Amino acid sequence: MLYGLKRLKKIYNHRTVLDIEDLTLEKGHVTGLLGPNGAGKTTLLKILSFILEPSLGEIRFKGKRVDFAGGNLKDLRRKVVLVQQQPILFTSTVANNVAFPLRIRKSEKTERERLVEELLELVGMLSFRDAMAHRLSGGETQRVAIARALACSPEVILMDEPTANVDVENQIVIERIIGEISQKRHISVIFTTHNMIQASRLAEKTISLFEGRVARSTYENIFSGSIEEDEKGDKICMLQGGMKLYLKNGKPGSVRISIDPERINIWREEGDRTSINTFPGRLIQLTDENSRVRALVDVGIMLSVLIPKERLEELDIRVGMKVGVRCPEESIEVF
Amino acid sequence: MDFFVDSLSSAILLIGSLDPELFEVIGVSLKVSSTSTLIASLVGIPAGFLITFREFRGKALLITVLNTLLALPTVVIGLFVYAFISRRGIFGHLDLLYTQEAMIIGQVILIIPIVTTFTISAVSRIDERYRETALTLGANALQTAWVVFREARFGLVAAVIMAFGRVIAEVGISMMLGGNAKGFTRTMTTAMALEYDKGEFVLSVALGIVLLTVSFALNIIFHYFQGKARV
Repeated sequence: MLYGLKRLKKIYNHRTVLDIEDLTLEKGHVTGLLGPNGAGKTTLLKILSFILEPSLGEIRFKGKRVDFAGGNLKDLRRKVVLVQQQPILFTSTVANNVAFPLRIRKSEKTERERLVEELLELVGMLSFRDAMAHRLSGGETQRVAIARALACSPEVILMDEPTANVDVENQIVIERIIGEISQKRHISVIFTTHNMIQASRLAEKTISLFEGRVARSTYENIFSGSIEEDEKGDKICMLQGGMKLYLKNGKPGSVRISIDPERINIWREEGDRTSINTFPGRLIQLTDENSRVRALVDVGIMLSVLIPKERLEELDIRVGMKVGVRCPEESIEVF
Repeated sequence: MDFFVDSLSSAILLIGSLDPELFEVIGVSLKVSSTSTLIASLVGIPAGFLITFREFRGKALLITVLNTLLALPTVVIGLFVYAFISRRGIFGHLDLLYTQEAMIIGQVILIIPIVTTFTISAVSRIDERYRETALTLGANALQTAWVVFREARFGLVAAVIMAFGRVIAEVGISMMLGGNAKGFTRTMTTAMALEYDKGEFVLSVALGIVLLTVSFALNIIFHYFQGKARV
Protein backbone atom coordinates (compact mmCIF):
# COMPACT_ATOMS: atom_id res chain seq x y z
CA MET A 1 0.00 0.00 0.00
CA LEU A 2 1.28 3.41 -0.97
CA TYR A 3 -1.26 5.73 0.59
CA GLY A 4 -4.02 5.01 3.07
CA LEU A 5 -6.49 7.75 3.84
CA LYS A 6 -9.08 7.52 6.59
CA ARG A 7 -11.85 9.98 7.46
CA LEU A 8 -9.80 12.70 5.83
CA LYS A 9 -11.31 16.16 5.57
CA LYS A 10 -10.16 19.50 4.31
CA ILE A 11 -12.23 22.46 5.36
CA TYR A 12 -11.76 26.00 4.04
CA ASN A 13 -13.79 28.75 5.69
CA HIS A 14 -16.37 26.28 7.08
CA ARG A 15 -16.76 24.65 3.66
CA THR A 16 -15.75 21.02 3.33
CA VAL A 17 -13.89 20.69 0.03
CA LEU A 18 -12.63 17.18 0.63
CA ASP A 19 -14.28 14.41 2.62
CA ILE A 20 -12.74 10.99 2.11
CA GLU A 21 -13.99 8.13 4.24
CA ASP A 22 -11.52 5.46 3.22
CA LEU A 23 -9.17 5.38 0.25
CA THR A 24 -6.19 3.22 -0.58
CA LEU A 25 -3.76 3.90 -3.40
CA GLU A 26 -1.47 1.14 -4.56
CA LYS A 27 2.22 1.25 -5.37
CA GLY A 28 3.58 0.93 -8.87
CA HIS A 29 0.38 1.83 -10.66
CA VAL A 30 -0.79 4.64 -12.81
CA THR A 31 -3.85 5.92 -10.98
CA GLY A 32 -6.27 8.40 -12.48
CA LEU A 33 -8.28 10.74 -10.28
CA LEU A 34 -11.31 11.63 -12.29
CA GLY A 35 -13.75 14.37 -11.55
CA PRO A 36 -15.21 17.64 -12.71
CA ASN A 37 -13.84 21.04 -11.72
CA GLY A 38 -14.26 21.71 -8.01
CA ALA A 39 -14.35 18.01 -7.12
CA GLY A 40 -11.37 18.42 -4.78
CA LYS A 41 -8.78 16.79 -7.06
CA THR A 42 -6.15 19.51 -6.64
CA THR A 43 -6.70 19.68 -2.87
CA LEU A 44 -6.24 15.91 -2.64
CA LEU A 45 -3.01 16.02 -4.67
CA LYS A 46 -1.61 18.80 -2.45
CA ILE A 47 -2.36 16.69 0.61
CA LEU A 48 -0.81 13.59 -1.01
CA SER A 49 2.31 15.65 -1.77
CA PHE A 50 2.45 16.81 1.88
CA ILE A 51 2.33 20.50 1.08
CA LEU A 52 -1.18 20.96 2.44
CA GLU A 53 -2.28 19.75 5.84
CA PRO A 54 -5.68 18.03 6.09
CA SER A 55 -8.10 19.57 8.60
CA LEU A 56 -9.12 16.20 10.03
CA GLY A 57 -8.36 12.53 9.63
CA GLU A 58 -5.42 10.33 8.98
CA ILE A 59 -3.07 9.78 6.09
CA ARG A 60 -0.60 6.92 5.94
CA PHE A 61 2.31 6.77 3.54
CA LYS A 62 3.85 3.32 3.06
CA GLY A 63 2.15 2.20 6.23
CA LYS A 64 3.41 5.01 8.42
CA ARG A 65 1.14 7.71 9.72
CA VAL A 66 2.08 11.15 8.39
CA ASP A 67 2.60 13.72 11.11
CA PHE A 68 2.05 17.15 9.55
CA ALA A 69 3.02 18.96 12.73
CA GLY A 70 6.26 17.01 13.12
CA GLY A 71 9.56 17.66 11.43
CA ASN A 72 9.83 14.71 9.03
CA LEU A 73 7.79 16.34 6.24
CA LYS A 74 10.88 17.29 4.25
CA ASP A 75 11.98 13.64 4.16
CA LEU A 76 8.53 12.58 2.98
CA ARG A 77 8.38 15.35 0.40
CA ARG A 78 11.62 14.07 -1.05
CA LYS A 79 9.89 10.81 -1.94
CA VAL A 80 6.86 12.43 -3.54
CA VAL A 81 6.72 15.21 -6.08
CA LEU A 82 3.83 17.26 -7.40
CA VAL A 83 3.60 18.75 -10.88
CA GLN A 84 0.97 21.46 -10.66
CA GLN A 85 -1.72 22.11 -13.23
CA GLN A 86 -0.02 25.26 -14.42
CA PRO A 87 3.50 24.53 -13.29
CA ILE A 88 5.72 27.43 -12.48
CA LEU A 89 9.34 27.48 -13.56
CA PHE A 90 11.93 29.54 -11.72
CA THR A 91 13.16 32.65 -13.51
CA SER A 92 16.30 31.06 -14.88
CA THR A 93 17.32 28.73 -17.68
CA VAL A 94 15.58 25.45 -18.44
CA ALA A 95 18.70 23.53 -17.35
CA ASN A 96 18.87 25.39 -14.02
CA ASN A 97 15.25 24.53 -13.34
CA VAL A 98 15.86 20.84 -13.85
CA ALA A 99 19.07 21.05 -11.81
CA PHE A 100 17.33 22.67 -8.83
CA PRO A 101 16.28 19.45 -7.05
CA LEU A 102 19.76 18.02 -7.67
CA ARG A 103 21.46 21.13 -6.28
CA ILE A 104 19.48 21.09 -3.05
CA ARG A 105 20.27 17.38 -2.71
CA LYS A 106 23.93 18.35 -3.10
CA SER A 107 24.54 16.04 -6.05
CA GLU A 108 27.92 16.22 -7.72
CA LYS A 109 28.31 18.62 -10.66
CA THR A 110 29.19 16.13 -13.41
CA GLU A 111 26.44 13.76 -12.27
CA ARG A 112 24.05 16.70 -12.15
CA GLU A 113 24.83 17.76 -15.69
CA ARG A 114 24.47 14.22 -16.96
CA LEU A 115 21.07 13.81 -15.31
CA VAL A 116 19.79 17.18 -16.54
CA GLU A 117 20.72 16.17 -20.07
CA GLU A 118 19.14 12.73 -19.74
CA LEU A 119 15.88 14.10 -18.33
CA LEU A 120 15.57 16.88 -20.89
CA GLU A 121 16.13 14.25 -23.56
CA LEU A 122 13.35 12.12 -22.05
CA VAL A 123 10.84 14.96 -22.30
CA GLY A 124 12.15 16.07 -25.68
CA MET A 125 13.37 19.46 -24.48
CA LEU A 126 17.14 19.08 -24.76
CA SER A 127 17.42 21.72 -27.46
CA PHE A 128 15.87 24.24 -25.03
CA ARG A 129 18.50 23.60 -22.36
CA ASP A 130 19.84 27.16 -22.29
CA ALA A 131 16.55 28.93 -23.02
CA MET A 132 14.98 31.16 -20.39
CA ALA A 133 12.24 29.13 -18.75
CA HIS A 134 9.59 31.86 -18.67
CA ARG A 135 9.67 32.18 -22.44
CA LEU A 136 8.38 28.64 -23.03
CA SER A 137 4.85 27.76 -24.16
CA GLY A 138 2.38 25.99 -21.88
CA GLY A 139 3.17 22.53 -23.21
CA GLU A 140 6.93 23.08 -23.11
CA THR A 141 6.65 24.40 -19.55
CA GLN A 142 4.71 21.29 -18.56
CA ARG A 143 7.39 19.03 -20.06
CA VAL A 144 10.24 20.86 -18.31
CA ALA A 145 8.27 20.69 -15.06
CA ILE A 146 7.99 16.92 -15.48
CA ALA A 147 11.75 16.65 -16.10
CA ARG A 148 12.38 18.77 -13.00
CA ALA A 149 10.06 16.54 -10.96
CA LEU A 150 11.90 13.44 -12.19
CA ALA A 151 15.19 14.98 -11.10
CA CYS A 152 13.94 14.45 -7.54
CA SER A 153 14.15 10.66 -8.20
CA PRO A 154 10.74 10.32 -6.59
CA GLU A 155 8.89 7.18 -5.64
CA VAL A 156 5.63 8.87 -6.51
CA ILE A 157 4.87 11.56 -9.03
CA LEU A 158 1.59 13.44 -8.70
CA MET A 159 0.36 15.34 -11.73
CA ASP A 160 -2.50 17.80 -11.65
CA GLU A 161 -4.30 17.88 -15.00
CA PRO A 162 -1.06 17.32 -16.92
CA THR A 163 -2.63 17.93 -20.31
CA ALA A 164 -5.33 20.47 -19.48
CA ASN A 165 -3.49 23.52 -20.75
CA VAL A 166 -1.52 22.13 -23.67
CA ASP A 167 -2.12 21.60 -27.35
CA VAL A 168 -2.78 18.19 -28.90
CA GLU A 169 0.84 17.67 -29.95
CA ASN A 170 2.14 18.26 -26.42
CA GLN A 171 -0.69 16.16 -25.03
CA ILE A 172 0.52 13.15 -26.98
CA VAL A 173 4.11 13.71 -25.81
CA ILE A 174 3.05 14.07 -22.18
CA GLU A 175 0.93 10.92 -22.27
CA ARG A 176 3.90 9.03 -23.70
CA ILE A 177 6.12 10.39 -20.91
CA ILE A 178 3.62 9.26 -18.27
CA GLY A 179 3.73 5.75 -19.71
CA GLU A 180 7.53 5.74 -19.73
CA ILE A 181 7.82 7.01 -16.18
CA SER A 182 5.65 4.21 -14.94
CA GLN A 183 6.99 1.33 -17.05
CA LYS A 184 10.72 2.11 -17.31
CA ARG A 185 11.34 4.01 -14.12
CA HIS A 186 8.81 2.17 -11.94
CA ILE A 187 7.53 5.35 -10.38
CA SER A 188 3.96 5.36 -9.12
CA VAL A 189 1.98 7.96 -11.03
CA ILE A 190 -1.19 9.59 -9.74
CA PHE A 191 -2.76 12.12 -12.07
CA THR A 192 -5.99 14.05 -12.14
CA THR A 193 -8.11 14.65 -15.16
CA HIS A 194 -11.64 15.58 -16.07
CA ASN A 195 -11.28 13.65 -19.30
CA MET A 196 -12.77 10.18 -18.92
CA ILE A 197 -11.24 8.86 -22.09
CA GLN A 198 -7.77 9.98 -21.06
CA ALA A 199 -8.22 8.41 -17.63
CA SER A 200 -9.19 5.05 -19.08
CA ARG A 201 -6.42 5.23 -21.68
CA LEU A 202 -3.59 5.97 -19.23
CA ALA A 203 -4.65 4.68 -15.85
CA GLU A 204 -4.69 1.12 -14.62
CA LYS A 205 -7.03 2.23 -11.89
CA THR A 206 -9.42 5.14 -11.86
CA ILE A 207 -10.91 6.81 -8.82
CA SER A 208 -13.76 9.23 -9.24
CA LEU A 209 -14.15 12.27 -7.07
CA PHE A 210 -17.31 14.26 -6.92
CA GLU A 211 -17.90 17.26 -4.65
CA GLY A 212 -15.02 16.23 -2.44
CA ARG A 213 -16.09 12.61 -2.02
CA VAL A 214 -14.93 9.40 -3.60
CA ALA A 215 -17.75 8.34 -5.86
CA ARG A 216 -18.87 4.72 -5.99
CA SER A 217 -19.11 4.64 -9.73
CA THR A 218 -17.52 6.96 -12.19
CA TYR A 219 -19.85 9.86 -12.02
CA GLU A 220 -20.85 10.21 -15.59
CA ASN A 221 -24.06 11.17 -17.24
CA ILE A 222 -24.69 13.86 -14.67
CA PHE A 223 -27.90 15.79 -15.12
CA SER A 224 -29.88 18.23 -13.04
CA GLY A 225 -33.60 17.94 -12.66
CA SER A 226 -36.38 17.92 -10.10
CA ILE A 227 -38.08 15.02 -8.37
CA GLU A 228 -41.86 14.92 -8.23
CA GLU A 229 -44.36 12.32 -7.01
CA ASP A 230 -47.20 11.24 -9.24
CA GLU A 231 -50.69 10.22 -8.05
CA LYS A 232 -49.57 6.62 -7.54
CA GLY A 233 -46.75 7.76 -5.27
CA ASP A 234 -44.04 6.91 -7.79
CA LYS A 235 -41.05 9.17 -7.81
CA ILE A 236 -40.25 10.76 -11.14
CA CYS A 237 -37.24 12.87 -11.96
CA MET A 238 -38.00 15.47 -14.60
CA LEU A 239 -34.89 16.25 -16.57
CA GLN A 240 -34.28 19.19 -18.81
CA GLY A 241 -35.71 18.51 -22.23
CA GLY A 242 -38.82 16.88 -20.82
CA MET A 243 -37.33 13.45 -20.09
CA LYS A 244 -38.92 11.50 -17.28
CA LEU A 245 -36.98 8.99 -15.18
CA TYR A 246 -38.63 6.78 -12.61
CA LEU A 247 -36.59 6.46 -9.42
CA LYS A 248 -36.52 4.11 -6.48
CA ASN A 249 -35.93 6.83 -3.97
CA GLY A 250 -35.10 10.50 -3.57
CA LYS A 251 -36.73 13.45 -1.90
CA PRO A 252 -38.88 15.82 -3.96
CA GLY A 253 -37.07 18.99 -5.05
CA SER A 254 -34.17 20.00 -7.25
CA VAL A 255 -31.51 17.33 -7.53
CA ARG A 256 -28.64 16.14 -9.59
CA ILE A 257 -28.54 12.58 -10.77
CA SER A 258 -25.93 10.39 -12.36
CA ILE A 259 -26.63 7.36 -14.51
CA ASP A 260 -24.04 4.58 -14.37
CA PRO A 261 -22.92 4.03 -17.97
CA GLU A 262 -22.17 0.35 -17.29
CA ARG A 263 -25.75 -0.37 -16.28
CA ILE A 264 -27.55 1.24 -19.17
CA ASN A 265 -29.04 -1.24 -21.65
CA ILE A 266 -28.75 -0.53 -25.33
CA TRP A 267 -30.18 -2.31 -28.42
CA ARG A 268 -30.80 -1.75 -32.11
CA GLU A 269 -33.86 0.03 -33.44
CA GLU A 270 -36.19 2.20 -31.45
CA GLY A 271 -37.01 1.35 -27.90
CA ASP A 272 -40.12 -0.14 -26.48
CA ARG A 273 -41.94 3.03 -25.47
CA THR A 274 -44.19 1.34 -22.97
CA SER A 275 -41.59 0.17 -20.48
CA ILE A 276 -40.32 2.75 -18.01
CA ASN A 277 -37.05 4.69 -18.37
CA THR A 278 -36.75 3.64 -21.99
CA PHE A 279 -35.88 6.14 -24.68
CA PRO A 280 -35.32 6.09 -28.42
CA GLY A 281 -32.15 7.72 -29.68
CA ARG A 282 -29.44 7.85 -32.25
CA LEU A 283 -25.90 6.51 -31.87
CA ILE A 284 -23.50 9.42 -32.27
CA GLN A 285 -20.07 7.99 -31.47
CA LEU A 286 -18.27 4.77 -30.58
CA THR A 287 -14.91 4.90 -28.80
CA ASP A 288 -12.56 2.05 -28.02
CA GLU A 289 -11.64 1.83 -24.32
CA ASN A 290 -9.49 -1.20 -23.59
CA SER A 291 -11.91 -4.11 -23.13
CA ARG A 292 -14.95 -1.95 -23.60
CA VAL A 293 -16.54 0.43 -26.01
CA ARG A 294 -18.10 3.70 -25.07
CA ALA A 295 -21.22 4.60 -26.99
CA LEU A 296 -22.55 8.12 -27.05
CA VAL A 297 -26.29 8.18 -27.63
CA ASP A 298 -28.43 11.22 -28.31
CA VAL A 299 -31.78 10.67 -26.61
CA GLY A 300 -32.57 14.37 -26.32
CA ILE A 301 -29.69 14.50 -23.88
CA MET A 302 -26.30 12.91 -24.48
CA LEU A 303 -25.98 9.59 -22.70
CA SER A 304 -22.71 7.73 -22.35
CA VAL A 305 -23.05 3.92 -22.36
CA LEU A 306 -20.26 1.41 -21.70
CA ILE A 307 -20.56 -1.88 -23.53
CA PRO A 308 -18.26 -4.93 -23.26
CA LYS A 309 -16.55 -5.58 -26.62
CA GLU A 310 -18.07 -9.02 -27.16
CA ARG A 311 -21.52 -7.57 -26.53
CA LEU A 312 -20.94 -4.94 -29.22
CA GLU A 313 -20.61 -7.63 -31.87
CA GLU A 314 -23.90 -9.18 -30.82
CA LEU A 315 -25.56 -5.79 -30.87
CA ASP A 316 -24.29 -5.02 -34.37
CA ILE A 317 -24.77 -1.27 -33.99
CA ARG A 318 -23.10 1.40 -36.06
CA VAL A 319 -22.76 5.15 -35.78
CA GLY A 320 -25.83 6.93 -37.10
CA MET A 321 -28.21 4.06 -36.34
CA LYS A 322 -31.42 4.35 -34.37
CA VAL A 323 -31.05 2.67 -31.00
CA GLY A 324 -33.04 2.22 -27.84
CA VAL A 325 -31.69 2.65 -24.31
CA ARG A 326 -33.08 1.80 -20.92
CA CYS A 327 -31.82 3.23 -17.65
CA PRO A 328 -32.79 0.75 -14.89
CA GLU A 329 -33.74 2.35 -11.59
CA GLU A 330 -30.64 0.89 -9.93
CA SER A 331 -28.40 2.65 -12.45
CA ILE A 332 -29.58 6.05 -11.23
CA GLU A 333 -28.00 7.74 -8.27
CA VAL A 334 -29.42 10.90 -6.74
CA PHE A 335 -27.19 13.36 -4.92
CA MET B 1 17.54 86.29 -11.46
CA ASP B 2 21.18 87.32 -11.97
CA PHE B 3 21.84 86.25 -8.44
CA PHE B 4 20.47 82.76 -9.09
CA VAL B 5 22.37 82.38 -12.37
CA ASP B 6 25.59 83.57 -10.66
CA SER B 7 25.11 81.09 -7.80
CA LEU B 8 24.39 78.30 -10.22
CA SER B 9 27.44 78.95 -12.40
CA SER B 10 29.71 79.30 -9.34
CA ALA B 11 28.24 76.06 -7.97
CA ILE B 12 28.97 74.20 -11.18
CA LEU B 13 32.53 75.60 -11.10
CA LEU B 14 32.84 74.43 -7.47
CA ILE B 15 31.79 70.90 -8.43
CA GLY B 16 34.10 71.01 -11.44
CA SER B 17 37.06 72.11 -9.29
CA LEU B 18 36.55 69.02 -7.09
CA ASP B 19 36.39 71.19 -3.98
CA PRO B 20 37.59 69.10 -1.00
CA GLU B 21 35.04 70.50 1.44
CA LEU B 22 32.22 69.71 -0.96
CA PHE B 23 33.41 66.15 -1.49
CA GLU B 24 33.97 65.59 2.20
CA VAL B 25 30.31 66.47 2.84
CA ILE B 26 29.16 64.20 0.01
CA GLY B 27 31.36 61.42 1.40
CA VAL B 28 29.84 61.64 4.89
CA SER B 29 26.35 61.65 3.41
CA LEU B 30 26.95 58.57 1.29
CA LYS B 31 28.71 56.68 4.06
CA VAL B 32 26.05 57.32 6.71
CA SER B 33 23.14 56.71 4.36
CA SER B 34 24.63 53.51 2.88
CA THR B 35 25.35 52.10 6.33
CA SER B 36 21.87 52.80 7.62
CA THR B 37 20.30 51.40 4.44
CA LEU B 38 22.39 48.24 4.77
CA ILE B 39 21.43 47.70 8.40
CA ALA B 40 17.75 48.46 7.75
CA SER B 41 17.76 45.99 4.82
CA LEU B 42 19.33 43.23 6.91
CA VAL B 43 16.55 43.70 9.46
CA GLY B 44 13.64 44.75 7.25
CA ILE B 45 13.86 42.16 4.46
CA PRO B 46 13.83 39.09 6.76
CA ALA B 47 11.13 40.78 8.85
CA GLY B 48 9.04 41.29 5.71
CA PHE B 49 9.45 37.60 4.80
CA LEU B 50 8.45 36.44 8.27
CA ILE B 51 5.41 38.71 8.38
CA THR B 52 4.29 37.50 4.95
CA PHE B 53 4.67 33.77 5.54
CA ARG B 54 3.91 33.35 9.23
CA GLU B 55 0.39 33.47 10.58
CA PHE B 56 0.17 35.07 14.00
CA ARG B 57 -2.21 37.11 16.11
CA GLY B 58 -2.08 40.80 15.39
CA LYS B 59 -0.56 40.40 11.93
CA ALA B 60 -3.01 42.81 10.31
CA LEU B 61 -2.47 45.30 13.13
CA LEU B 62 1.30 45.07 12.73
CA ILE B 63 1.05 45.79 9.00
CA THR B 64 -1.19 48.78 9.73
CA VAL B 65 1.31 50.08 12.28
CA LEU B 66 4.17 49.66 9.79
CA ASN B 67 2.20 51.53 7.15
CA THR B 68 1.57 54.33 9.64
CA LEU B 69 5.27 54.48 10.47
CA LEU B 70 6.01 55.19 6.79
CA ALA B 71 4.91 58.74 7.51
CA LEU B 72 6.97 59.12 10.68
CA PRO B 73 8.47 62.65 10.75
CA THR B 74 12.26 62.73 11.02
CA VAL B 75 12.18 65.31 13.80
CA VAL B 76 10.07 62.96 15.94
CA ILE B 77 12.66 60.21 15.51
CA GLY B 78 15.41 62.75 16.23
CA LEU B 79 13.73 63.74 19.47
CA PHE B 80 13.01 60.13 20.43
CA VAL B 81 16.56 58.90 19.89
CA TYR B 82 17.95 62.05 21.54
CA ALA B 83 16.00 61.16 24.68
CA PHE B 84 17.86 57.84 24.85
CA ILE B 85 21.40 58.88 23.93
CA SER B 86 21.71 62.34 25.44
CA ARG B 87 23.76 62.60 28.62
CA ARG B 88 20.65 62.13 30.75
CA GLY B 89 19.33 59.22 28.68
CA ILE B 90 19.77 55.54 29.55
CA PHE B 91 22.40 55.12 26.82
CA GLY B 92 24.05 58.43 27.68
CA HIS B 93 27.23 56.75 28.90
CA LEU B 94 27.86 55.43 25.38
CA ASP B 95 28.54 58.99 24.27
CA LEU B 96 26.73 58.57 21.00
CA LEU B 97 25.16 61.99 20.60
CA TYR B 98 26.54 64.06 17.69
CA THR B 99 28.28 61.10 16.06
CA GLN B 100 27.70 59.34 12.75
CA GLU B 101 26.51 56.30 14.75
CA ALA B 102 23.73 58.37 16.27
CA MET B 103 22.64 59.49 12.79
CA ILE B 104 22.71 55.89 11.61
CA ILE B 105 20.54 54.77 14.54
CA GLY B 106 17.95 57.42 13.74
CA GLN B 107 18.01 56.71 10.01
CA VAL B 108 17.66 52.96 10.54
CA ILE B 109 14.53 53.59 12.62
CA LEU B 110 13.24 55.85 9.85
CA ILE B 111 13.59 53.32 7.04
CA ILE B 112 12.99 49.91 8.64
CA PRO B 113 9.23 50.40 8.10
CA ILE B 114 9.91 51.32 4.46
CA VAL B 115 12.06 48.26 3.75
CA THR B 116 9.67 45.97 5.64
CA THR B 117 6.42 47.13 4.01
CA PHE B 118 7.97 47.19 0.54
CA THR B 119 9.33 43.67 1.15
CA ILE B 120 5.88 42.49 2.23
CA SER B 121 4.33 43.90 -0.92
CA ALA B 122 7.10 42.51 -3.17
CA VAL B 123 7.00 39.04 -1.60
CA SER B 124 3.23 38.71 -1.45
CA ARG B 125 3.07 39.55 -5.16
CA ILE B 126 5.12 36.42 -5.84
CA ASP B 127 2.92 33.55 -6.92
CA GLU B 128 2.18 31.04 -4.12
CA ARG B 129 3.16 28.27 -6.54
CA TYR B 130 6.86 29.24 -6.24
CA ARG B 131 6.79 28.33 -2.57
CA GLU B 132 4.79 25.15 -3.18
CA THR B 133 7.08 24.15 -6.04
CA ALA B 134 10.21 24.62 -3.95
CA LEU B 135 8.67 22.55 -1.14
CA THR B 136 7.57 19.69 -3.36
CA LEU B 137 11.00 19.60 -5.02
CA GLY B 138 12.43 18.90 -1.58
CA ALA B 139 13.65 22.31 -0.44
CA ASN B 140 13.89 23.10 3.28
CA ALA B 141 12.49 26.31 4.79
CA LEU B 142 15.62 28.35 4.08
CA GLN B 143 15.97 27.10 0.49
CA THR B 144 12.28 27.83 -0.08
CA ALA B 145 12.73 31.38 1.22
CA TRP B 146 15.72 31.75 -1.10
CA VAL B 147 13.58 30.73 -4.11
CA VAL B 148 10.98 33.36 -3.21
CA PHE B 149 13.77 35.89 -2.54
CA ARG B 150 15.20 35.29 -6.00
CA GLU B 151 11.84 35.70 -7.67
CA ALA B 152 11.13 38.87 -5.67
CA ARG B 153 14.63 40.30 -6.14
CA PHE B 154 13.68 43.25 -8.33
CA GLY B 155 10.96 44.31 -5.92
CA LEU B 156 13.42 43.99 -3.04
CA VAL B 157 16.06 46.10 -4.80
CA ALA B 158 13.36 48.70 -5.34
CA ALA B 159 12.62 48.63 -1.59
CA VAL B 160 16.28 49.20 -0.75
CA ILE B 161 16.64 52.07 -3.24
CA MET B 162 13.49 53.68 -1.90
CA ALA B 163 14.95 53.53 1.62
CA PHE B 164 18.29 54.95 0.52
CA GLY B 165 16.51 57.80 -1.26
CA ARG B 166 14.67 58.60 1.94
CA VAL B 167 17.78 58.81 4.17
CA ILE B 168 20.08 60.61 1.74
CA ALA B 169 17.53 63.44 1.53
CA GLU B 170 16.45 63.69 5.17
CA VAL B 171 17.66 66.56 7.32
CA GLY B 172 15.88 66.33 10.72
CA ILE B 173 17.69 63.29 12.10
CA SER B 174 21.11 64.33 10.77
CA MET B 175 20.75 67.77 12.30
CA MET B 176 19.37 66.74 15.70
CA LEU B 177 21.52 63.64 16.28
CA GLY B 178 24.58 64.46 14.17
CA GLY B 179 24.90 68.11 15.09
CA ASN B 180 26.32 69.19 11.71
CA ALA B 181 29.96 69.04 12.88
CA LYS B 182 32.26 69.90 10.00
CA GLY B 183 34.22 66.93 8.73
CA PHE B 184 32.36 64.48 10.99
CA THR B 185 28.62 64.69 10.81
CA ARG B 186 28.03 67.37 8.19
CA THR B 187 25.95 65.88 5.41
CA MET B 188 24.70 67.36 2.16
CA THR B 189 21.37 68.35 3.67
CA THR B 190 22.68 69.79 6.92
CA ALA B 191 25.41 71.67 5.06
CA MET B 192 22.80 73.16 2.77
CA ALA B 193 20.70 74.29 5.72
CA LEU B 194 23.76 75.86 7.34
CA GLU B 195 24.98 77.65 4.21
CA TYR B 196 21.47 78.95 3.69
CA ASP B 197 21.49 80.35 7.23
CA LYS B 198 24.83 82.04 6.53
CA GLY B 199 23.51 83.49 3.28
CA GLU B 200 26.19 81.56 1.35
CA PHE B 201 24.39 80.15 -1.60
CA VAL B 202 27.16 78.79 -3.77
CA LEU B 203 27.98 75.67 -1.73
CA SER B 204 24.28 75.24 -0.99
CA VAL B 205 23.34 75.26 -4.67
CA ALA B 206 26.26 72.96 -5.54
CA LEU B 207 25.10 70.45 -2.94
CA GLY B 208 21.56 70.86 -4.18
CA ILE B 209 22.70 69.92 -7.67
CA VAL B 210 24.53 66.84 -6.37
CA LEU B 211 21.55 65.81 -4.26
CA LEU B 212 19.14 66.22 -7.12
CA THR B 213 21.44 64.21 -9.38
CA VAL B 214 21.62 61.42 -6.81
CA SER B 215 17.81 61.44 -6.39
CA PHE B 216 17.32 61.47 -10.12
CA ALA B 217 19.69 58.55 -10.62
CA LEU B 218 18.02 56.61 -7.80
CA ASN B 219 14.62 57.25 -9.31
CA ILE B 220 15.73 55.92 -12.67
CA ILE B 221 17.18 52.79 -11.05
CA PHE B 222 14.05 52.41 -8.86
CA HIS B 223 11.72 52.54 -11.84
CA TYR B 224 13.93 50.17 -13.76
CA PHE B 225 13.68 47.55 -11.01
CA GLN B 226 10.00 48.24 -10.33
CA GLY B 227 9.35 47.63 -14.01
CA LYS B 228 11.37 44.41 -13.91
CA ALA B 229 9.49 43.29 -10.81
CA ARG B 230 6.20 43.48 -12.69
CA VAL B 231 7.30 41.28 -15.58
